[in-house]
Amino acid sequence: MSSFGFGLITAAVLAIATVGFTMQFAVTNVLNLAYGSVMINSAFVSYYLNVHGVTAWVSLVGGVFTGSVVSWALNRFIFTPFQRRNLAPITVVIVALGVDLVGTFGLQAIVGGGYVSFRQSPGSEYHFLGMILSGLQLVILAICAVVLGLVHWVLKYTRLGKAMRATSANPNLARNSGVKVQRVISTTWLISGALCGLAGTVLAMNTGVFEATSAQLYIVLLLAAMFLGGPGEPYGAMFGALTIGLATEISAAYFSPQYKEVIAFLALLGMLTFRPYGIFGSEKTN
Amino acid sequence: MSVELSQPGLVLSTTALSAGYDGRAIVSDISIEASPGKVISIVGPNGSGKSTLLKALVGVVRVLDGTVSVGGNDITNLPSEEVAKLGVGYVPQIDDVFPPLTVKENLEIGGYLLRRSEIPDRIAAVVDRFPRLKEMMSRKAGKLSGGERKMLAMGRVLMLSPSVLVLDEPTANLAPMVATQLLEEYVRGFADQGSTVLLVEQRAKSALRISDWTYVLGGGRVVLDGAPKDLQENPLFVESFLGGSSIPK
Ligand SMILES: Nc1ncnc2c1ncn2[C@@H]1O[C@H](COP(=O)(O)OP(=O)(O)OP(=O)(O)O)[C@@H](O)[C@H]1O
Ligand SMILES: [Mg+2]
Repeated sequence: MSSFGFGLITAAVLAIATVGFTMQFAVTNVLNLAYGSVMINSAFVSYYLNVHGVTAWVSLVGGVFTGSVVSWALNRFIFTPFQRRNLAPITVVIVALGVDLVGTFGLQAIVGGGYVSFRQSPGSEYHFLGMILSGLQLVILAICAVVLGLVHWVLKYTRLGKAMRATSANPNLARNSGVKVQRVISTTWLISGALCGLAGTVLAMNTGVFEATSAQLYIVLLLAAMFLGGPGEPYGAMFGALTIGLATEISAAYFSPQYKEVIAFLALLGMLTFRPYGIFGSEKTN
Repeated sequence: MSVELSQPGLVLSTTALSAGYDGRAIVSDISIEASPGKVISIVGPNGSGKSTLLKALVGVVRVLDGTVSVGGNDITNLPSEEVAKLGVGYVPQIDDVFPPLTVKENLEIGGYLLRRSEIPDRIAAVVDRFPRLKEMMSRKAGKLSGGERKMLAMGRVLMLSPSVLVLDEPTANLAPMVATQLLEEYVRGFADQGSTVLLVEQRAKSALRISDWTYVLGGGRVVLDGAPKDLQENPLFVESFLGGSSIPK
């Protein structure tokens, strides 16, 4: 049962990350394989704020801000210019892969290869329903729940959220209805980047120790969770993340933590084979 | 308080327009004019460039040469969100709604440029015009029937009370009865209330019945134009559209 508790945290963090990742794909058509490197870079900015005396929770805001700004800049200065050239969609994917490598190993070159950890005690332990969760983990769970609720509210009830969904469904028609599509896309990168920074930072806090390459395989979990829920479906992403998060942690408890990504990858392959549009997606999603 | 669904019409015209994709012209040397209170139709065989012409008018496809103007303003190559602001409502041939959004959300996006407080009244006015939509406000647009979907697509552009309506084959895939109702009741209705209507239509006969003037497109050019009753007596037109086909693609 304790792996269930841990799986819940993994799932909550993965949900935040996948929602951001899916938003980028849905609204702007970029499969941002550099997502993991933005996560870990955000975590390191937050970590440095923390070791320079800022409390962990305030430094978390620094991580969120970093993810947001870096993602916005990636889109503005790298992805959009490539998209404008009307190259095959795979080009942008390859570019993103390159950005991921530069982001990860560039970070490693700066911070070195050692493990670091936040100056934040996990807090006292809480037992319930047979699960053991630390105070830190409870706070992480609460943050994730609030943020997912907020994302839901934005997408469903605000003018911006509706414009984002409209842009995702049919950008030409959105433009024709007076939506400033370019601005909606920029805003999407700011928001999804904030989710990316948040996920990276809480992931690092929760893992305890981390290093520059810690999020390198995270993309596998993201892809698995996204495809499970249906590409481009934010609600599907939440569901996919919950499933993948629990499945990988529980299987890690029974086999070995090394197989986490393998399990996720098998789930991804299964989905692509039997239901490529996901559980929530319709066949027309692509 | 009643909300008007359309503004007094504006003249929409082109002079020697050519437009196409990737710098290659699909339509050339097109000069047409649509004026308030009238239905102006464009007919022509598949692939003759009807949709391309409409897209060029509303800023979706690049104009390579010539001009487009509405109400005396030059709108050549204006981004399509600006064209919408000037009162031109465009219903594309395909991809005319946002399938994952509900009917209500589709209408709200249609009213994106309005003040928030204006939106409920406008939705009420649109639904008044298309009562079928009333029971489906929370249904996803992707789950509507063809006819309901077209009503929603038109409802979306009516949210901004357009002066000019540009409709690309609104009756495609509709049962004949529904198609006739759509054209005679709604499309003609818009013009009768003073709007300018520019209509592309496959069903030549139905198009003529509700039009004040008709342009015939062939191979990307206007090959013939005239009042419906004159076209009906033109042997070339009769042979091409009400019989065999000799108008080039
Ligand atoms: N996005 C595009 N890129 C390149 N060529 C295109 C594009 N869309 C249409 N065409 C070409 O332009 C020509 C005219 O197409 P268009 O859609 O304007 O015809 P249409 O008269 O509307 O036909 P239909 O009655 O079938 O709707 C066709 O030869 C078509 O293949
Ligand atoms: Mg067409």
